[in-house]
Amino acid sequence: MTLTELQLTIRDALYVSLPGMHWVTAEISEINENYAGHCYLELIEKQPDEKNIRSRARAIIWSSRYRFLKSFFENTAGQPLRNGLKVLVKVKIEYHEIYGLSLIINDIDPAFTVGDMALKRQAIISRLMEEGVFEMNKELEFPLFPQRIAIISSRNAAGYTDFMNHIVKNGYGYVFYTALFDSAMQGQETEYGIINALDRIAAEISLFDLVVIIRGGGSQTDLSWFDNYNIAYHITQFPLPVITGIGHEKDLSVTDMVAHLPLKTPTAVADYIIDCVAQVDVRLNEMTTEIKNLSHTILEKNRNRIESAGLRLLPLTRIRLSGTRETLSGMIMDLTNNGKKYIYKAAMEQSSLGSKLRMAAKTYLAGKLSASERLSGDLRSLTNSSLKDKNNSIKTLENSLRILSPEKVLARGYTITSVNGKILRSGEELKENEMIDTLFSDGSIKSRVTQGLQKKK
Amino acid sequence: MAKKEFSFNEAVVKIEEILHNIESGELDVDKLSEQVKLASELIKQCQKKLKLTEEEINSIFNDLS
Repeated sequence: MTLTELQLTIRDALYVSLPGMHWVTAEISEINENYAGHCYLELIEKQPDEKNIRSRARAIIWSSRYRFLKSFFENTAGQPLRNGLKVLVKVKIEYHEIYGLSLIINDIDPAFTVGDMALKRQAIISRLMEEGVFEMNKELEFPLFPQRIAIISSRNAAGYTDFMNHIVKNGYGYVFYTALFDSAMQGQETEYGIINALDRIAAEISLFDLVVIIRGGGSQTDLSWFDNYNIAYHITQFPLPVITGIGHEKDLSVTDMVAHLPLKTPTAVADYIIDCVAQVDVRLNEMTTEIKNLSHTILEKNRNRIESAGLRLLPLTRIRLSGTRETLSGMIMDLTNNGKKYIYKAAMEQSSLGSKLRMAAKTYLAGKLSASERLSGDLRSLTNSSLKDKNNSIKTLENSLRILSPEKVLARGYTITSVNGKILRSGEELKENEMIDTLFSDGSIKSRVTQGLQKKK
Repeated sequence: MAKKEFSFNEAVVKIEEILHNIESGELDVDKLSEQVKLASELIKQCQKKLKLTEEEINSIFNDLS
């Protein structure tokens, strides 16, 4: 059997056992359109780990069919056929003695791809949610004055040009500082490009207030590159707010979902930023007016306070002074009146005293006079009687004297005792055996003391 | 001793206190002229301060616009 015979035998066996068309699910790993308009693909099925390939086959869409299927798929699935997509294709098995096995694609079901992408997208969203990072970029504080903008876009993208025109020629004349971080915005390079751009911005983070990711113009369809876990994760972890304008009309990509603010077009992003600044500008103007008014109010209030104080000072002082003056003159009046009263009273008192004094003096003098008259009368009579009395008493005294003369006394039986001529009035001086003289009326005797004084009991 | 910086509020409080004292008659006549002099001096300073402040504010806003 020749090789050709073998190949033809295989072909026949295949055709017999797998006749007609078969719906097959697979992933596109390569896709190329050749000059003739035929589309050559490599279909694979991966292991459940999504890394290793479990099987592989070549597939072809002939140009006659491809023209129709291409636009049908793009319109329905919202994106072109590309590698990485899972597809459900209707294939006829062809075995060629030179080229071997080929799957000739006759039809394709875009709904399967859409469903699969939705599932993948949902898986990415769930993962970001589970990791707790989904809302992180949204939680950043949006800058009050977003003036320094890092742009991630493709230099040649129509969206980038739109954005720049808008932001530079804004109607207010605001100046924005922009820097472009070039990146692929579709295709396989998108993931690397955007992450790399974010890293470059992060290296100069202090120069920027905001990151915008813009695309747009051209194909509005291929959003699927932004349903990417790594891009989304990097955005959630980025320290500046990210605004997206990657040109979607219907659904948000995962990138949009995790961004601080997803907007539809680059122009919308530019308008939003200009509007933020304008709002702050308006607010600043309002505050300026407010401050102006308030400070004038404060000044006016204080001026009034000072003016009214100034106006009150002089009158109040005058009132105070005149009040004091009145009090003073009142005091003078009082003083004068009181003085007069006092003097009058004093005068009254004085005059009454004088007359009293006069009266008293008169009375006194009269009294004294009569008293002296009486006294002189008395004196005369007293003198007379006194003289008489004196006479009498002298006579009595003469009598007494007569009675009291020693002779008379001695005659009445009294004796006088003396020692050595000294008359004794007490017996105390006498000692035993002392000689005493006793005088009688008719003579004296000497005698000896035999016993000392016996005191009267 | 460094001169204490002029305080508008303290001055106004002082002026009003003096006015009150004059009005209520709590102030000795001995001290009246001294206090009136002080009050009018403070009023003058306050007016000066107000004028300066207004000029400053106006010039700030002129710079702004």
